[in-house]
Amino acid sequence: MSTTLIEITSKQRNSNSWEEPFFINMGPQHPSTHGVLRLVLELEGETIVHCDPRIGYLHRGVEKLAENLNYNQTVVLSDRLDYIASAANNVAFCLAFEKLFGLEVPRRAKLLRTIVGEMARISSHLLWLATHALDIGAMTVFLYCFRDREWLLNIFEKICGARLTHSYVRVGGVRLDFTQEIIDELYKFTEEFPNRILEYETLIDVNRIWLKRTIDIAVVTAEKAINLGLTGPVLRGSGVPYDVRKFRPYDAYSEVEFEVPVGERGDTYDRYKVRMKELRQSNWIIRQCLDKLAETKGEPVLAEGAPDLLIPEKIKEPEPKPHPKKGFIFTGKEVDVVPPGEAFASIESPKGELAVYVVSDGSNKPWRLRIRTPSFVHISAIPELSRGYMIADLIAIIGTLDVVLGDCDR
Amino acid sequence: MNLIQKILLLEIWKGLALTLKKLLFDRPVTIQYPEKDKVVPAPGFRGRHALVRDPQTGDTLCIACMRCARVCPSKCIYIEYEVDPETKKRKIKRYDIEALRCVYCGYCEEVCPVNAVVLTEFFEYAGYSREEVYFDKERLLKNWDEFIATQKRPYLNPFWKPRGIPEKYLPIKKRTFTGV
Repeated sequence: MSTTLIEITSKQRNSNSWEEPFFINMGPQHPSTHGVLRLVLELEGETIVHCDPRIGYLHRGVEKLAENLNYNQTVVLSDRLDYIASAANNVAFCLAFEKLFGLEVPRRAKLLRTIVGEMARISSHLLWLATHALDIGAMTVFLYCFRDREWLLNIFEKICGARLTHSYVRVGGVRLDFTQEIIDELYKFTEEFPNRILEYETLIDVNRIWLKRTIDIAVVTAEKAINLGLTGPVLRGSGVPYDVRKFRPYDAYSEVEFEVPVGERGDTYDRYKVRMKELRQSNWIIRQCLDKLAETKGEPVLAEGAPDLLIPEKIKEPEPKPHPKKGFIFTGKEVDVVPPGEAFASIESPKGELAVYVVSDGSNKPWRLRIRTPSFVHISAIPELSRGYMIADLIAIIGTLDVVLGDCDR
Repeated sequence: MNLIQKILLLEIWKGLALTLKKLLFDRPVTIQYPEKDKVVPAPGFRGRHALVRDPQTGDTLCIACMRCARVCPSKCIYIEYEVDPETKKRKIKRYDIEALRCVYCGYCEEVCPVNAVVLTEFFEYAGYSREEVYFDKERLLKNWDEFIATQKRPYLNPFWKPRGIPEKYLPIKKRTFTGV
């Protein structure tokens, strides 16, 4: 609070006009700020003159923590970044680590990762639609979205034993194969889900309140969106067809067909439309992967030479000639677990581009880990987007950017 | 949107018709959780911790190899052991799991070479004090007894022998393991 008071007094001293700027705190306990986001608003009447996001209420030091945990343990931390779609974070971390280890993931594991990644996208977009609609005033959509998200979380529970913090992906593959029961359930889901999307669209697609609250709110031109560093559906809503899944295909995305939906005007309604189209595309991707899964039945889901969950600190070099009785004999010389070097991987997470950069010094722990999260960049764009709009529109702007504070503060 | 649509509130009526249809013809998706309905977690749900009781000896299977304590990302497993001077075998003196620190990743059950530790499917164990969710060895064995009474024997947790992982990555005891 003290910093805000200093700001107020200094601004008042410098201002020449009689009108005093009106400051108000929004958050960190405001239900519409989607977590612990605090916005210091400078108002003129009800219009926002300036908005100053204050972050860091959920800072846990994931990047520093990762330096004290081995590569597989670090994957557990990634669950807590964007906790709405933790499977996508797991994939990003593991892709970077696999580049470091030099592993080639088996095809079945790639397909499974693609499926859980897209399931995470659907569950994230459903939660976005639910909360965004609730903020704007449509309660039924909220209930319908949570009904379907529950179904998806139940499938996740069958897959990996957890509903939110999956830690399903591990370095070199995935932890468990799907059972036939899960595949049948997913087939049922993909059959039924397009009808459910139609239900949401019946409720809000042409609803006049929804249109009034979203059309021409927070317009971002393509150039401005690129300059602000926006990614994901927010960037595509402005008409830039940038999708990491198409530009740098990872996992099994090069095998499947899908479209990258783009918007035209770049307002909140267009971003809503893009996300609704993405729901259908994700559903279609899951369907294709399930069909391909039948071809790879019975294949392993862990790469050859993948590290154990408990990665040793140093390993001893085996002698070239194996001992006939004792297996291998180890020389006393210690070698590195991972080749020293650096690796970078980026994925299209539901919120935008999630990138992981890791530097190794040869031990079993990352020497430095850097995460580029979409929410952090999107929050930094709020001042630019909200200037000149009403306070009520700010709620829609926070909703349309789809920020998760665990992802931002990390 | 033309004038007739605007006056007649067509899209509003459409939405209301959908909700009315749901109200009349659909079964409710909500459940009356603690009073009427029970929630059954999927097999392999990572819930309350337990130490498997050996059916032969009545004691834990743990051999104090410390793998679970070392793999734990949140360092919530505390083990002390002593070495038997005659048989040279390790015997655990203390095996504590601090459930409030646990992140429920299930790495401990996956690395355990003898399938001694498990995250059971039991999830209703919220307590009023920290002591209630600080599990020592006796409490962990009791957790197992409470859990296995509700299960069909032999019980096999999916993380003990992960599906799709090639056998050569598993310790020898896990390869032939069929359940307890």
